[in-house]
Amino acid sequence: MSTLDATTESTRRLSGRRVHLGDLILQLVAGAATLAALVLVFLIVWKVIDGARPAIEQFGVGFVTHVGWDPVKQVFGAGSFLFGTAVTSLVALLLAAPLSLGIALFLTELAPGAIRGPVTALVETLAAIPSVVIGLWGILVLGPVLSDHVEPFLHDTLGFIPLFGTPGSGSSMFTAIIVLTIMILPIVSSISRELFLGVPSELKEAALGLGTTRWEMVRGVMFPYARGGIAAALILGLGRALGEAIAVTQVIGAFVGIQWNLFSPGDTLASRIAAEYQGATSNLEVASLIYLGLILLVFSLLVNLLAQWIVRTVARRQGLAS
Amino acid sequence: MPKSGTLIRSTAVAGLAAVVAAVAVSAAGAAPAKRSATVLQGAGSSLIAPALAIWQPLYSQARGVVVNYSAVGSGAGIAAISARTVDFGASDAPMTPDQATGCKGCVQIPWALTATVPVYNIPGVPDTRLHLDGPTLANIFLGNIKTWDDPAIKKLNPGANLPSTKIVVVHRSDGSGDTYVFTDYLSKVSPTWKSKVGSATSVSWPTGVGGAKNAGVAAIVAQTPGSIGYISDAYVIQNHIAKAQMKNAAGHYTLPSVTSIEAAAQLVKSVPADNAISITNPPASPKYKYAWPLSTFTYVIVPQQTAKAKDLKNFITWALTHGQAPIRKFVFAPMPLVVIKAANKSLKQVHS
Repeated sequence: MSTLDATTESTRRLSGRRVHLGDLILQLVAGAATLAALVLVFLIVWKVIDGARPAIEQFGVGFVTHVGWDPVKQVFGAGSFLFGTAVTSLVALLLAAPLSLGIALFLTELAPGAIRGPVTALVETLAAIPSVVIGLWGILVLGPVLSDHVEPFLHDTLGFIPLFGTPGSGSSMFTAIIVLTIMILPIVSSISRELFLGVPSELKEAALGLGTTRWEMVRGVMFPYARGGIAAALILGLGRALGEAIAVTQVIGAFVGIQWNLFSPGDTLASRIAAEYQGATSNLEVASLIYLGLILLVFSLLVNLLAQWIVRTVARRQGLAS
Repeated sequence: MPKSGTLIRSTAVAGLAAVVAAVAVSAAGAAPAKRSATVLQGAGSSLIAPALAIWQPLYSQARGVVVNYSAVGSGAGIAAISARTVDFGASDAPMTPDQATGCKGCVQIPWALTATVPVYNIPGVPDTRLHLDGPTLANIFLGNIKTWDDPAIKKLNPGANLPSTKIVVVHRSDGSGDTYVFTDYLSKVSPTWKSKVGSATSVSWPTGVGGAKNAGVAAIVAQTPGSIGYISDAYVIQNHIAKAQMKNAAGHYTLPSVTSIEAAAQLVKSVPADNAISITNPPASPKYKYAWPLSTFTYVIVPQQTAKAKDLKNFITWALTHGQAPIRKFVFAPMPLVVIKAANKSLKQVHS
């Protein structure tokens, strides 16, 4: 009796334990993975701050706005790179937003069924092209076309705006902007496409049934429905543009200083780090480059937080409205 | 089971050894099979890369040692040898104090002699037809001379059909030995350049567009009418870009060639302990009448203490002797005796 009891007891405990063990392993593995990611982020941040310390001590917060980068006199500042990063990324986003929404709408609503698949695949292939290849194409093909044809045209028609000054060589902020636009495009358009596909067809049909035109349906139903997601997609694209280094390094012309003419060369945070980090000749220059990295890190973090805030706000407003 | 495993493994090892031995025999004749596994890994200067491309097959044929080299740029080469991720680094500029400290006991050894050259793209002015002197070149790169029909340029090029095109200055965007040679020269010929910009592997450019590596500068110059830049002479041959004649201090127009670089190298009378030698802008003396003013030594950087000391010393000694003749076609000039002696002396510091 007592032995039997003991046996059932132990079996129960064993089987209970077995289930428990699986759960425990799952919990441990998942927990460890999450912890590893967190630790990694902290290590990176700590390492970046630690590496930038000599420059932080030398230049202080003034580094962020100081325009200049002189490895001979050992005076460094992030001002012109912050400017270049902001201008190229924002203008690229401005160009990419309508284009990618157009692509997404075309592929979900307007395109004949037969071409949807292939075109979608092609647009997504754009995202798979290595940035160094886009950069090479930018310097060999895009740059000359822009400086010979597009820049003179823009200067002649819109020259009263300081952004469209005298055309320069193919290496310019403008070439970088176009290259970045091409790199953002597939990200934003494929996310938007998914979002548009997710709009319930009852809503769309109801709108069309009420006698709206297709454009009115898109504007009145699809855009509001996908608004939060589109904003997040755009911010994701912006993040891509902010951090892109190699392709930008190849086409932007590495100029230190602030020029409003988009056709003149400039430089971004990421591209300066990529171009100079390996060849840095002094410890202070290395620290200053890492300081640039720190600024980029903070910048990207802010953009990420902004994206989350936008998505949450829009979602809440939609929740209230319905 | 473990027995057969061991058997398989030992068979595989024997097979591998046989293959290695066969390769060694075919590659090095009577060389002992043991030494054939040696690989030397290098990284750095793109200026020396054409020379290494010639040396690699010759050296593996002669000594059965494989030399791998990636032309990541001089600064990156110094970073790589400092981190000991390679066996040797290569740089066209001598190490800065910070770099020398960071390298923790490295020696830099001059192992080739070559040149940087101003290149241009001016419609109507064919290859080598543009004549420039030091001060004019400095003023162009300072942004003081803005068009090709500027009186200063016209004066040096009587009869040339110079257009009124705007000058586009092109420079390197990455840390580069070419930039070092170029700015070292400009600092010697222009006091304004020296005080305003100075010389280093990367400087604060007063004007112009930056291109990544020699290839990037070459691409921008080739595509931009009105542009002027500078690249390693070995890359001019590959890229078919027009190069400018430079007036040296003795008052003669020259082009980079084995003879004109060798003439500039006569400047070396003695070599300092750290082997840093500058031979830009040789003085106005008949001795340097045919000297190219933008000539430069380029260095191999090795740790003083390394497990591969013997192989490195063999390779560098070979490069300094047998290696010099085959690279002449890429305009590498023979090194002066005094420099070879200094190089040998430095090599003696390398040990395992």
